[in-house]
Amino acid sequence: MSEKKKSLFKFGTREVVYSAIGAALYAVLTYATNFMQLPGSGNVAMRPAVVIPMFFGIAFGPIVGFITGFIGNILSDLLSGWGFWFWWDLGNGIMGLIPGLIAVAIIDYKAIKSLLLGEFFVILGAAGGMGVAAISEMWVSGADMTAVIYYNFLPAFLTNIANGLILLPILMVAYAAVAQRSGRQ
Amino acid sequence: MPKTNAAALVFDDLSFQYNTRSEPAIQHISFSVQPGELLLIAGSSGCGKTTLMRCANGLIPNAYHGKISGDIKLFGRSVFEMQMAEISQAVGTLLQDPERQILGSYVLNEVGFGLESLGIPRNEIIPRVDETLEHLGILHMRDRETFGTSGGEKQKIALAGVLVMKPKILLLDEPLSSLDPASAHEALQTFRQLADEGLSVVIVEHRVEDVLTIHPDTVVYIDEGQVTYCGDSKGLMAIVDYRRIKLPADIVVERARNAPAPQFYPVLKPNYKNPETLLSFEGVHFQYNEDSPEVLDDINFEIHKGDVIAVLGHNGSGKTTMVKHALGLLKPTQGHVLLEGLDTQKMTVAEAAHTVGYVFQSPTQMLFAPTVKEELAFGPKNLGFSPEEIDKNVTWAIETVHLNEELDTPPLALSFGQQKRISIAAILSMRSRILMMDEPTAGQDYWNYQAFMDAILQMPGFDSVIFITHDLDLALIYANRILILYGGKIVADGRPQDVLQDELQLKKFRILPTSLLKLNMQYLPKTGSFYRAETIAHFIG
Amino acid sequence: MLVTWRYKYRNSIMDRIDPRARWIFSCAFLISCTMFWDARFLIFFFIIAVVWYTFGRTKWKETRRGWLLVSVMLFSMIVINTLITGGGAGGVVPPGGHEVWTQGFTIPWVNWHIHFGLTAERLWFAICQLLRLGGISAIFVLIPYTMDSRSYGATFHGLGMPDRFAYTMELSFRFIPTLAQDSAATLDAQKARGYEIEKVKGGLFRKILRIAPLIVPITMNSIVASEDVANAMDLRCFGQYKRTWLFELKFHWWDIILIIFSALMLIGSAVAAYGFKMGNFWIPESFINMLIG
Ligand SMILES: Nc1ncnc2c1ncn2[C@@H]1O[C@H](COP(=O)(O)OP(=O)(O)OP(=O)(O)O)[C@@H](O)[C@H]1O
Ligand SMILES: Nc1ncnc2c1ncn2[C@@H]1O[C@H](COP(=O)(O)OP(=O)(O)OP(=O)(O)O)[C@@H](O)[C@H]1O
Ligand SMILES: [Mg+2]
Ligand SMILES: [Mg+2]
Repeated sequence: MSEKKKSLFKFGTREVVYSAIGAALYAVLTYATNFMQLPGSGNVAMRPAVVIPMFFGIAFGPIVGFITGFIGNILSDLLSGWGFWFWWDLGNGIMGLIPGLIAVAIIDYKAIKSLLLGEFFVILGAAGGMGVAAISEMWVSGADMTAVIYYNFLPAFLTNIANGLILLPILMVAYAAVAQRSGRQ
Repeated sequence: MPKTNAAALVFDDLSFQYNTRSEPAIQHISFSVQPGELLLIAGSSGCGKTTLMRCANGLIPNAYHGKISGDIKLFGRSVFEMQMAEISQAVGTLLQDPERQILGSYVLNEVGFGLESLGIPRNEIIPRVDETLEHLGILHMRDRETFGTSGGEKQKIALAGVLVMKPKILLLDEPLSSLDPASAHEALQTFRQLADEGLSVVIVEHRVEDVLTIHPDTVVYIDEGQVTYCGDSKGLMAIVDYRRIKLPADIVVERARNAPAPQFYPVLKPNYKNPETLLSFEGVHFQYNEDSPEVLDDINFEIHKGDVIAVLGHNGSGKTTMVKHALGLLKPTQGHVLLEGLDTQKMTVAEAAHTVGYVFQSPTQMLFAPTVKEELAFGPKNLGFSPEEIDKNVTWAIETVHLNEELDTPPLALSFGQQKRISIAAILSMRSRILMMDEPTAGQDYWNYQAFMDAILQMPGFDSVIFITHDLDLALIYANRILILYGGKIVADGRPQDVLQDELQLKKFRILPTSLLKLNMQYLPKTGSFYRAETIAHFIG
Repeated sequence: MLVTWRYKYRNSIMDRIDPRARWIFSCAFLISCTMFWDARFLIFFFIIAVVWYTFGRTKWKETRRGWLLVSVMLFSMIVINTLITGGGAGGVVPPGGHEVWTQGFTIPWVNWHIHFGLTAERLWFAICQLLRLGGISAIFVLIPYTMDSRSYGATFHGLGMPDRFAYTMELSFRFIPTLAQDSAATLDAQKARGYEIEKVKGGLFRKILRIAPLIVPITMNSIVASEDVANAMDLRCFGQYKRTWLFELKFHWWDIILIIFSALMLIGSAVAAYGFKMGNFWIPESFINMLIG
């Protein structure tokens, strides 16, 4: 029990809790900002909360990131009564999973290097996640590639990276302070 | 230390140091707990009480890692040789905040959680849950949602979730911190009853005086990670520093006689002759939803320049709801709230914030900036102060709470007590005329909260201070006016010595008279006003 | 802030169907339905979806929000993509076809002449899309209204998800109201410091940045709280043994029939689509004749 290495794919009690709380947080913040007057683009709502799965991924690993995005999106759709859209849930999950892949590489959350690495993976995550969701839309609704890119992928991708890039460093710096003070190792 | 095999729990020269720390959290702890014994652990903030609990329930070393030495024996067996599941079935733990400990959405699921984890079949779980709920007298709550139950109810539910696993030892970490006095009293009675039934009960608590009412068999006092006293409660009162732990008032009087009198000069004085009104509530009614009951029921009162008001009342009586109206965070469903003569309906919260500074109960709800300095500048910046003014206010605020050296630290890295002071400074820097604080002392130790309450009330700059509290002693030491809420109505409003006179009536409002109140009432003819026990000691000299 | 689940007990047929069977059916439906572009098949699926939807006994007033979202999605997919821009039908509808509205039209005021090559084939394809997406939406919009929030954990566990993952779902349900309350408290606390989220000047960057005073305390607070939650779970033996799920799920004979039906639907569709190469895009001659005349 004394091994201390961060393992990328561990899923113990701690990870269960971070995933659950992350998902609940993502859902609540998405739900709350649905009603805020933020600029939207096309049919994709502006969601500052997308930073939550990205950040939980970076802080607690890819599985936590994935579940935060996946279940979080399910829950926020349940709360709004929007139904269940598996491929968008999956896309949100991937948006947390990809940044999570660098979780082990980050030790000091407020170092410039960590922040840049985080930002880079946020772009990858948003591209991967929204890409999967948009491509699934081709399969489901029979739209062609250009349509999917213009109407599904780009608006979602651009608003998500805008939110992710701006908010992620703020959360990472704040978390660096919190991590000093408490927590289970 | 007595060390027999029959002991339920034995600490044997136990020390522990967290991996991330350079100092041990606890050192050379030795004492034991017998079956059926009720034991109280006291000590100031950060002295290692929670750490000690974590050692006893197996979280250390299973979930927290660090350097450990010495041993803990559970009925003769070392816990370090036992599996977590085995320890958990012998040792039940009630954590400090029931809101975070409750894992089920419904009472039945919450109480059954441990049994579900153990894989016990459903048809055995349900009768065991029912039996436990029945024992605690809350069987009627079985099918309710856990969210939305009151603080006292939450605690009972969490306790049921622990007791359902039939532990032999019960650990309680600050079980009283958010309860009103009457609910705390009920909870303590339950703990006493459990001990009488043969359970070993270990209580960690800052509110020592309250716990003494159920006569703990043993009291352990911890200071900086070491046991400095272990014995009966009488002995504790003789040796412990009465400025660090709140002791019964008559004992403080005995012991403070020879110490120098405390210096306390409040700035605010009520002006009874021609009061200047700052804020007035006129027939305020409020309900959260159309179909929920009224939370405020015809509230009428005025706040005057010079008032220091303590708002008392049971859990859910509407204290927080009422105070939020002053700032326009909530608007009355009927009636008016006038802030300096203007209706809060017609102003934004930001405008009201120029006049009213409101410190929320939990500091973690508002701290976000990368440095303390930016945190303190946030309020004045929002209110449109000039950069020079902001600088001046920030400096003044940080000096008031004595945290100058932390200006460049991230507030989130500070300890809870420091964060609390930063959250107060963040309001001070807005230079509001009225200061409102929601339970400013909850979760703080006695020494710390006295220090900052003294500082705030001796500090010029406010026209009035209002605070909500469950601590009657805090109200009678610091307030010059007391408001009591009961079920959404103001049932008493006046000078402390007038409002707190009638014990029977207080009990009706779920407020329990304390030893300090009794002492003050006894000497009122001589003192003319209410004071802390140390001061009274010098009156009767 | 008030958050409430849309579910309530309606004493409907849906309330009697085991949620596992419902998920199996819903997923089988999604997969089967997306194998076809032939309106004759899609009508069949659409009818099944409508029947299924009525099982839920939801009221229009309740589900309005869900349908609003669906309509926005359908609008952009069908009207914009397929009809106006002519994209959308790319892989399915063969190029060329019978043009419907050769003369185009002129937008008044600005005098723009728009000529868009809408063909009968694309119009028919739009109808197929409407049937297919409408059917899928009906099935999945229904879920929030008809599934008890207590049952998700047990259901996904029952469908083969490991204990820990299924429990994660259950736990996040538990924390939604708590976090909503915390968020409201943070918003209030910041408002008391003069923070006004609605009033932001400046561009997108400033607007997003403006959310930091909310999102940071809420997130950090919940991370700190997670420590307590994890402790509470470890102290009650979480994850040490195979878990019992208190929420009781029970298959009845009708659930078995539904599952068999789902399996037949899936297999039948696969055989038809891949075995017999049926179900590709098809347009009735009469439709073309009707339009072109
Ligand atoms: N998870 C942790 N990681 C590192 N250090 C910790 C951790 N938990 C506690 N500490 C440190 O150990 C010491 C003892 O803390 P502990 O929580 O046991 O005190 P306490 O007596 O329970 O205080 P309080 O009355 O404020 O609850 C403190 O210095 C604290 O900062
Ligand atoms: N946001 C809310 N929505 C609905 N009801 C609420 C809300 N906040 C509080 N209430 C209800 O209003 C009543 C009064 O709550 P309030 O928080 O004002 O009590 P309080 O006197 O501050 O209690 P405590 O001492 O526990 O802090 C309670 O019954 C509570 O359940
Ligand atoms: Mg503690
Ligand atoms: Mg309150």
